[in-house]
Amino acid sequence: MNMKQVSHLERERKMENSFIELKNVKKTYLVGEQKMNALDGVDLSMNQGEFVVILGPSGAGKSTLLNLLGGMDSSTSGTIRVGEDVISTYNDARLTNYRAQKVGFIFQFYNIMPTLTVEENVNLIKDVTRTNKDAKEVLKSVGLLKHASKFPSELSGGEQQRVSIARAIMKNPSVLLCDEPTGALDSKTGCEVLKLLKEQCDFDTTVIVVTHNSLIAEVADRVIRIKNGKVESNELNEHPKQIDEVKW
Amino acid sequence: MLRKKRIRDIKQNLSQFITIFLMIFIGVMAYSGIEAYMQGMKDTADRFYGENNLQDLNVLGTNFSMDDLNQIKKIEHVKNAERKLSVTGTTSEDKTLLINFIEENDISRFYVVEGEKFDASKSGVYLDEFYARENNIKLGDTIKVKYDSLELEEKVLALINVPDHLYDTRDESELYPNRTEFGFAYLSASEISESFIKNLVMKNLGIEDEKLFDQMSPDFHYQDYIPYNTIMVDVEEEESKEQVKQSIEEKIEHALAVMDIKNTSSYVTYQGEIDEGKTYVGVFSGLFLFIAMLSVITTMTRVIQKEQVQIGTLKALGFSNFKVLTHYIGYGFWIALVASLLGLIAGYFLIGNVFIGLEMAFFEIPNGAPSMHSSSYLVAILVVLIVSFITYLTGKKILRENPAETLRTKIPSVKKNSLNFTNQSFFQKFSFSTKWNLRDMIRNKMRTFMGLAGVVGCCMLIVCALGMLDSMNYFVDLQFKQLYHFNYKLNLKEDITDKELQTLKEKYGNKTSKTYGIEIKNGEKKEANNIFITDAKDYVQFVDNKGKIIELDSKEGVYVTYKLASTKGYKLGDELIWHIYGEEKYYTSTIVGFNKDPQNQNMTMTKEYFESLGKEYQPDALYTNVNLENQKNIEGTSTVQDIHSLEEGMEGMLSMMKTMLVLIISIAVILGSIIIYNLGILSYSEKQYQFATLKVLGFDDKRIQKLFIKQNNWIAILSIIIGLPLGYYLTDWLFKTAIEEHYDFGASITIVTYLIASVGTFLVSILVSKFLSRKVKSIDMVSSLKGNE
Repeated sequence: MNMKQVSHLERERKMENSFIELKNVKKTYLVGEQKMNALDGVDLSMNQGEFVVILGPSGAGKSTLLNLLGGMDSSTSGTIRVGEDVISTYNDARLTNYRAQKVGFIFQFYNIMPTLTVEENVNLIKDVTRTNKDAKEVLKSVGLLKHASKFPSELSGGEQQRVSIARAIMKNPSVLLCDEPTGALDSKTGCEVLKLLKEQCDFDTTVIVVTHNSLIAEVADRVIRIKNGKVESNELNEHPKQIDEVKW
Repeated sequence: MLRKKRIRDIKQNLSQFITIFLMIFIGVMAYSGIEAYMQGMKDTADRFYGENNLQDLNVLGTNFSMDDLNQIKKIEHVKNAERKLSVTGTTSEDKTLLINFIEENDISRFYVVEGEKFDASKSGVYLDEFYARENNIKLGDTIKVKYDSLELEEKVLALINVPDHLYDTRDESELYPNRTEFGFAYLSASEISESFIKNLVMKNLGIEDEKLFDQMSPDFHYQDYIPYNTIMVDVEEEESKEQVKQSIEEKIEHALAVMDIKNTSSYVTYQGEIDEGKTYVGVFSGLFLFIAMLSVITTMTRVIQKEQVQIGTLKALGFSNFKVLTHYIGYGFWIALVASLLGLIAGYFLIGNVFIGLEMAFFEIPNGAPSMHSSSYLVAILVVLIVSFITYLTGKKILRENPAETLRTKIPSVKKNSLNFTNQSFFQKFSFSTKWNLRDMIRNKMRTFMGLAGVVGCCMLIVCALGMLDSMNYFVDLQFKQLYHFNYKLNLKEDITDKELQTLKEKYGNKTSKTYGIEIKNGEKKEANNIFITDAKDYVQFVDNKGKIIELDSKEGVYVTYKLASTKGYKLGDELIWHIYGEEKYYTSTIVGFNKDPQNQNMTMTKEYFESLGKEYQPDALYTNVNLENQKNIEGTSTVQDIHSLEEGMEGMLSMMKTMLVLIISIAVILGSIIIYNLGILSYSEKQYQFATLKVLGFDDKRIQKLFIKQNNWIAILSIIIGLPLGYYLTDWLFKTAIEEHYDFGASITIVTYLIASVGTFLVSILVSKFLSRKVKSIDMVSSLKGNE
């Protein structure tokens, strides 16, 4: 039995106990009269509390994968399980509930409500799920307490992204899905945001970051590469670097 | 290529372009339609008056001789003159006919609807077309009519319209014409029998023996003794009318009064309708257009703003600013042009035709047709220019930036200052959806304002349209339930004898009145009016400005209606100098009080005060509650009016008004719905990405729908709160300024109207919001969020 076979078996074993599991997931779009496979038979697994980075060129299917995991979109076929939730079988209402209870989202352009203050944006979560967290505490943890009563347009890009992180962690999500979270930020601010994201793994949250930036892979526990709708590789990083060690 | 792009862009934003199209279309249609109706009214009358030679002056008097006529004809600036004997007769069916005996028909010529032209040598009657139609009288039928001892049985030679009989009421107490009960008829003067004239002359001379009379007047030529009481005068030009009037007053002994035709009730009422209409044009159509344009401008601006990235791309590709601008101006220009043109056409044919049709059922005037007014073309051109200019300005603003800047997506900014107050302790307690909506409204002030203006306008129009009907009903009630407390009004003959009057009083009671035509001196000018002398206490009552019954019992002076006092500036204690038409003596009377009269702005005095002026009180009307249902031809009376038939006469007018109001309300509701829908789409598309985010965060569709509907509901409620009182003031203003001078109506709107307007407005708003909120279900989170990026 060579090393490659051992690693394969190890992965198989882990998949059985993994927190997130995708089996032969396909997502097909109709573009005009032509079918386009955004995801073409994806098998994947991820563990709880992992910091996962998904890399791949534009159009590879990264965001589609993220949207399926977040219950924002439904797969054409295959099985997706997140914890106890087999979300590929869920209808709209259950998906809504799943998003409300389990998932946190971080977008490249923050998507925070421009007419709500920082604190109100974070407290918004209380309208969809029960949480014992205090918005002020959460804001303190992301370093925004002093901006609590400001409106988003008064904040810098990094600060706005931190608001969206605060909003996401307010609900104690099982999965934190981040689509190019540092894409619109300078490297210093990007680092700060990444640190915050990575810290969430300490609370057993699985953080999944979709990015073009391969440098982020160096800090990840797991790196998944996707190309043409297929998983090219799914590797565990034996020695993830500290964020400050990476030369951005 | 750009043309293709434009067509496809329009297809892509079809619902917004359709609403823009509809708003312009309806706005222009309402404006040009009402304008075409009003102009049509004016043109129709001008045509009729011109072609059928409406007289300029009516000389009223007794026994106008051929000499009088010739003398008038000789007065400088007089083109022509004709004599007429007008008397009120009764038909065998007990209907009232105003019978006119004429010698020729060059002035106030008949418009023959059916039958033959006037021929003085022909025996027969030329009958009021409306009266004939209402009473099912056909050409060739025979009608019997009686005036005093003159009994006529005449074949109907023609059904006619006459320019000075567009709108005839039996007397002032009738608010509206009752064509079934009252009409006019023309006959050749040769139809008056010799015996009738001979009897009249003998009566005047006090001779009872016909043989004696024949001996005394062997050359009696009865035609010379026909007591013509009117001479119609055609004056060369409008400016010389006053001069001719004065000459007649000086030279013609038999002339008791010279009336400008423009002061006669038929002319005044029709003209009043046009003047009223002018205000409607200004208010209703102007409001429609204004509301529509506000909404169009907002939408057009947003549509172009949405094209920002494409504008940047075109610029980056090397398209000149001019080319890009003309491309985008085309969006507004073509839509506005097509919508305006179709609006003009639809306005003319739909609104103009329908409204004129309604009026023509009411005014007896032939060939009524709407006319397109030049201002409608101007408005249509203006609309096209404004819409194009708005697209130009919006495009120009975007083009001012460099392509790189233009291509950068702008994230909506929030100015903290404007929202600061919503962050204070009071607002802190509000729910997320309340805060979110409140701030969204403040942030999008223009959109909110447009929404408010649109819904307020529509709510106002509904209140106003229904309120006008309420107010009319209120005044009908006031007139017939509060002021009039009699069942029948007996109009007494001019030559009623004391004995006849005494008999009538004994039979029917002694509640009487007398009305005189008077002239009041106002500086150098003399103003025509009338005076009502009352001896009909409890039967004819009076109210003050608040509708409270008051007694007019002063023996010291006259009462003046509030409206007359306010238009002429009369105050309590002022002295009025006046004289009765046909008499030269002037009286000076002190104003001792005011009363409100919904339909007649005049002076009132008691019989006692009138007699104290040295005048003898000779009533011309007697009021009674004795049942006269089957009574015909009461001795000493010319006509008997049933109060219920007076009330019925009004139904026609009210039903016409109802039809107009239904049209106005329909347009208001359609326009309101489109505006709410349009602004709803705008607000929805601007919030779509926020809704998508909320969906991602786990908000379910129903909560997001509620969030969206909440804002629209607020706007509707706020609009109703503003719209209801504004609707009241608009109605009141319309009644006070637009209505004919002799009416004194104010808004009197029932709670039901306010309820209908509130519920109606809210219902429309909620239905449209609900319809739009269905879109939330189909929000595709992925593409919405991507689209925003």
